[in-house]
Amino acid sequence: MGTIAWETDLKQALAKAQAEQKPVLVDFFNPG
Amino acid sequence: MDAVTYPQKAVEAFLAGSMIAVRTPSDNSLAKEFKVTWTPTLVTLDWNGHEHHRTVGFLTAEELVPSLMLGSAKVYADLELFDKAFGALGKLLSAYPASDAAPEAMFVRGVCGYKSTHNPAPLKEAYEQLQKTYPQSEWTKRAYPYRLL
Repeated sequence: MGTIAWETDLKQALAKAQAEQKPVLVDFFNPG
Repeated sequence: MDAVTYPQKAVEAFLAGSMIAVRTPSDNSLAKEFKVTWTPTLVTLDWNGHEHHRTVGFLTAEELVPSLMLGSAKVYADLELFDKAFGALGKLLSAYPASDAAPEAMFVRGVCGYKSTHNPAPLKEAYEQLQKTYPQSEWTKRAYPYRLL
């Protein structure tokens, strides 16, 4: 799936986003 | 998305530089919290966890990147970080003028222009630009009243 650095924990992602002042993309995918 | 869109370098580069990317299954509690009923659903949040933009369904890289730019711009605009919003919108409109996200970006740029100056002129300019560039867009219709400003 390429080199995208996907996070799996939203709380951790939000903390990282706050620190870097970046928006967050959440991809809800079909687990199959 | 996994096979076609995410491997594209433009997607990887944009996400690496401009967003924090999260993947989560659509059958968990977070999906219920965000009322996700179909996949792929892509939601753009601010760092407080508040939603600002959402798409449902497949997007090519040529549509995903401008859609993410628009989502990011809407985050910054709603947080009144207008310089960042204008930056994201300008990049979108210069790099992806033919994308589905472009007309809304032009509309949002007008709104940001008004909200950052309290001058209605940017709203009228947005309508005039929309009418000229995207005459059939729903965003041109939504901006229609601004012609009178």
